[in-house]
Amino acid sequence: MLKHLYYRDRGTFLQSLHPAAILSYLAALLLLPLFLTHPLYLVSILLAGLLAAFTAEAAAGWCAYLTVGLWPALLLLLMNPLLSSNGHTVLFLLPPLPFIGGRTITLEALCYGAVMGMRFLAIITAFALYNTQVHPDRVTGLLSRFAWKSALLVSLATRMIPTLTRELSAAREVQQLRGVDFGTGNLRQRLQKYGWLLELLLVSSLEGSLQTAEAMQARAFGSGPRSSYLRNPVRLRDYLCSCSALAALFLSIYARVRGYADFTFYPQLGRLVDGVSGWFFYSAVMLSILLPLIIGWGWQRWPYLRSKI
Amino acid sequence: MADGAADRWIKMGAAVLCTAGLLAAAHWQLPFLLQHWAVFTASLLLAALVLFFIRFERSAISAREVGVIAILAALAAVSRIPFAALPGFQPTTFIAIVSGYVFGGQAGFMVGAVGALGSNFFLGQGPWTPFQMLFWGLAGASAGALGRYFPGMSRAAMAVFNTLWGFLFGWLMNLFFVVFFIKPLNWSSFLLAYGASFPFDCFHAFGNLLLYLLLGCRIIKVLRRFRLKMNYTGG
Repeated sequence: MLKHLYYRDRGTFLQSLHPAAILSYLAALLLLPLFLTHPLYLVSILLAGLLAAFTAEAAAGWCAYLTVGLWPALLLLLMNPLLSSNGHTVLFLLPPLPFIGGRTITLEALCYGAVMGMRFLAIITAFALYNTQVHPDRVTGLLSRFAWKSALLVSLATRMIPTLTRELSAAREVQQLRGVDFGTGNLRQRLQKYGWLLELLLVSSLEGSLQTAEAMQARAFGSGPRSSYLRNPVRLRDYLCSCSALAALFLSIYARVRGYADFTFYPQLGRLVDGVSGWFFYSAVMLSILLPLIIGWGWQRWPYLRSKI
Repeated sequence: MADGAADRWIKMGAAVLCTAGLLAAAHWQLPFLLQHWAVFTASLLLAALVLFFIRFERSAISAREVGVIAILAALAAVSRIPFAALPGFQPTTFIAIVSGYVFGGQAGFMVGAVGALGSNFFLGQGPWTPFQMLFWGLAGASAGALGRYFPGMSRAAMAVFNTLWGFLFGWLMNLFFVVFFIKPLNWSSFLLAYGASFPFDCFHAFGNLLLYLLLGCRIIKVLRRFRLKMNYTGG
């Protein structure tokens, strides 16, 4: 399951974007569900995120996220109607339960819980896209201009994780050959065995860190001001994607402030979309969210467009 | 150094001004803050995280220190992966605490924070990442304060400290879920959400306790010896 989660180069449109462009698009996918509570917007953003994940060959990664995110989403769906008795449309009455007592379950509270669960899934989807579409080093590279020490530390540590994982499994195999059985024993004994591994790994990797430091010093680490070299071309597609992400953000903030993207849950569910301006803002926000995906589709199908953007 | 003293005065002045600003905002804009308190809380927490990173960025750090912090953060991250199947059992807290205790608060914070960030590249980034970074970092930083003011802590006291962080980490992590997603937020919904996570918190605290009792002293000894070696050859 875990192997689907991390970045792998798949040659997709989103992966070909400049890190700042993809980050702004993912920020839009993350922030919109955070400040909108309108069910229509939330469903559409979730669907747009899913479309992005499936066209970017990140479906397996998204499913791995879903296995983690489903439980909190269900919890949100169930907890709200149990805890809140607001709303006029009573569906049924619950017999008295321990801790929370008797409850009336209303349609409005159930809908609110469902919307909160959907909001959680939409946020999770944005992060699933981040994990599968953005190379960690490209983001730290972007940050290295402002915060080079932290960026260096993060990329060093991230680089060492796969190495240490390999060393861990090697050390485990050596221990197994010597007769240590990791599958048996009670919790304390098992923990003791894993503890040996941890200590072994610590001692060997600390020695390794001294060598890393010497290699860094040999390459003049800390001897003066740093120069930076980045090869991240900014192309037309990056401008298009970041502009549409910004447009989606501004349009939805404006619609929220002016009340076009509000939805009343209590005391009774309101109308889904009010009038022409409501539909206008909804379609404008959705169009700007979908625009990068449409461009990506064209980029994949149409070599001429690919050469131009 | 005169510059250092002036710098300190500027920093203290900035801190006083920020506090005064926050208090003033709380005084006059209280209805606004109360209405958007979830966003306000999250931004305060994120600001704390950013400030710790700025502090690290401004400190003079040698190649050796970068290497050690990076390897300890990677170890904190890797130790999470084989245990990911066991809910709540997180050796990262333990590693952040022992490294903070030996190498000081700043190193402890960076080990916890970078360990959380790095491991999530493999386990999945999410809205939980900045909060995990902050709270694991704080576990390391608080252990650093402990190591500075009470260098000869007894084994029992350290074990209690580890257990407490097991609970505290879970409770602090719950905050972000509760604050953003649970409405209406009252005592009964709060207790229900915390009750749902209590078994996991117990696992985490118990795992921390066991790890410390089984390994703590040995690992602290290894780290202390390494610190000595690092500083000796680094002269």
